[in-house]
Amino acid sequence: MRKVYITGVGFITSIGNDAASVSESLRELRHGMVQYAPFQKADIPVKVAAPIRDFITETTDAEDWVFPARYTIRREALRGMAPHGVYSYCAMQQAVEDAKLTEADWSNPQTGLYAASAGSPFLLGHHLERMRKMGVMRCAPLGVVAAISGTVNFNLVSQFKIKGASAGFSSACASSAHAIGFAYDEIAMGRQKRMFVVGAEDGNVESILPFAGMRALSLQTDPSIASRPFDASRDGFVGTGGAAVLVLESEEEVKRRRAKIYCEVAGWGQASDGYNVAISHPEGTGLRMAIENALNYSDTTVDQVDYVNAHATSTPIGDISEAKALKAIFGHSPTRPAISSTKALTGHGLSLAGAMEAGFCALAIKEGFMPGSAHITKLEPACEGLNIIRATLPHRPNVVLSNSCGFGGANVCLVFRSV
Amino acid sequence: MAQAFNNSSGVQLKPFTSEDDVNLRESLKRCSAASYEAAAQFRKTGNTEHLPAIVLGIIERYVEPDLRAKLKDADDDLRVIEDLGIDSLTMMEIVILVEDVLQMSINNEELRYLRTLGDVKTFIECKVRGLPLPKPTKFLPIEQIMSVMPIQPPFLFLGEASINAHGANAKYKISGQEFFLQGHFKDNPVLPASIMLEALGQLAVLFLLEGQIGEAGKVVDHRTIFFTSCEGVRCHRICKPGDVLILSIKPKRLKSPLATFEGQIRVGQEKAAIAEEITLTFGFAEEVAQPVQNSQSTPVTAPTQAAVNA
Repeated sequence: MRKVYITGVGFITSIGNDAASVSESLRELRHGMVQYAPFQKADIPVKVAAPIRDFITETTDAEDWVFPARYTIRREALRGMAPHGVYSYCAMQQAVEDAKLTEADWSNPQTGLYAASAGSPFLLGHHLERMRKMGVMRCAPLGVVAAISGTVNFNLVSQFKIKGASAGFSSACASSAHAIGFAYDEIAMGRQKRMFVVGAEDGNVESILPFAGMRALSLQTDPSIASRPFDASRDGFVGTGGAAVLVLESEEEVKRRRAKIYCEVAGWGQASDGYNVAISHPEGTGLRMAIENALNYSDTTVDQVDYVNAHATSTPIGDISEAKALKAIFGHSPTRPAISSTKALTGHGLSLAGAMEAGFCALAIKEGFMPGSAHITKLEPACEGLNIIRATLPHRPNVVLSNSCGFGGANVCLVFRSV
Repeated sequence: MAQAFNNSSGVQLKPFTSEDDVNLRESLKRCSAASYEAAAQFRKTGNTEHLPAIVLGIIERYVEPDLRAKLKDADDDLRVIEDLGIDSLTMMEIVILVEDVLQMSINNEELRYLRTLGDVKTFIECKVRGLPLPKPTKFLPIEQIMSVMPIQPPFLFLGEASINAHGANAKYKISGQEFFLQGHFKDNPVLPASIMLEALGQLAVLFLLEGQIGEAGKVVDHRTIFFTSCEGVRCHRICKPGDVLILSIKPKRLKSPLATFEGQIRVGQEKAAIAEEITLTFGFAEEVAQPVQNSQSTPVTAPTQAAVNA
């Protein structure tokens, strides 16, 4: 198996629109929540969200959208994009610049792109409404590719002229973690030498509020405590959107290009709960198996793990089942790893979460810190015995796990190692 | 409520309410003010003179800004895909907006042949007025021109050509290798004016052979085409090796056995030569005795059959 490294990152997130500001927010535990204007209506009990700054993508007409001047997107590209397509495009720009890649590096049969998003319920709703009102022949020609799940890979693969493997991943909140896992496999097995992995979500009314129906969203009105994974008073997650892009490269490519390395992707594991369509297993058995698989695969022992970036979204049930899985793995180990959920700062990015948090782990390893788990005033009793860090630690973790769990009980654990 | 009625252009006119006006403004919000004005006038009066401005305005809105300059002094031969970078998906966007603004529907099959700005304008005018659709512009690469023309190199002065019901256009690049340039003139190669006229005549021959000249079921026999006369020929510009001649001819009168055309040559935007009238004689295939060989299966090979003598 070939070694795989992360050599570039790009972020459009609620806590920063580039790696430098994201890193600063993570260290200083600066969150991205606000009382989100579109939620401030009498019939919407959810008030807080973690929106993307410096972009305006509120209307269904992409030509109205505003984005920072450093990015240019031609109309013919824009017309096939959802809001999160624009975020992805911008994060992709950052990632190729960060990895110092030229077009010849990324547009070849050995370079692929895996992506994950839930599509754009916002645009899908708009286009279906237009179809019903104006008739099927007046549907926008690119409405489908802008709106359906897969829109991120459709757009980026064509616009960046990707010639290698490309696919979209759909396992809800584990989607982009799955994308990283399978991208790792492509390189480890020698089928590709470079993979882009993209996670993205609109993070607007239509992508967040449907979760209110299953009572998964926090009803807190105070943005500074709405997302508080592992806190006893947590009451649901806070929605967010954005995009994160990682560049994964083989050892040979890293050497050939003399590329800067964030960390090694040491391996991954997955397992499923086989339990409930939307509720995680109460004992966290699927996640526990995913972590075990990841550790076994990557030849990592339990006591080597320094930091775990938890999936914990701040829901009452989910956080406990993850705590139980972590206890089952680390409970009897003398050196317990530091654990935190950065969703306290970013909110829950759904299909974006896995790639975004893997990007955070890459920053933490390269820059030498472990972000704290913010907004905990009283620790959830089920988490007693876990080393959940409340403040950022200024140490470089050598081995890092990143967990992601999705609907249907899909669980993914990624392993990163410093070099 | 006003009733729907037909006006002189044959356009079905529906009442144009203030709500329609709001929708029209919204639909055309990214087009020039002139396109909105033209569209509003058209919707109120049914006057088809406004159609070109509407269609151009809508196309312009979908052309990337760096290519819009091409539309400024565009002739009807500007190609939608090759010159304006409009792909089939953008064409659909244009169609949907045109449908919306002109209150009509267009089906996919009808779109396939719209290759030039002129095709689009003509197509929409015919649709709006309920007239039968014209045959689309035909594009002929040099290989195809050589296979139909009785005139062959080194005396063929047409490159790629396009032909529709209203005329024909072609390009010819003066390579500098033309045999007569050695002596015309000594150490100073200049395309002879007679060759310019010859090139226009050749394009007229191509039009007769490939165009739709109206008489049902009849095919012009290439062996029957000869030069008859020309009038009002004026040259405006010296043409030299490297220049690309843009040739165009339009039929003025077409009635067997005579076909009269007006012709023009440009180089870039500069007028190079005009001919007010070029007249050829021609005949249809069944009017001449057929040789033993089937002329369809053997392309013309003998340059000695060159039919146009300028």
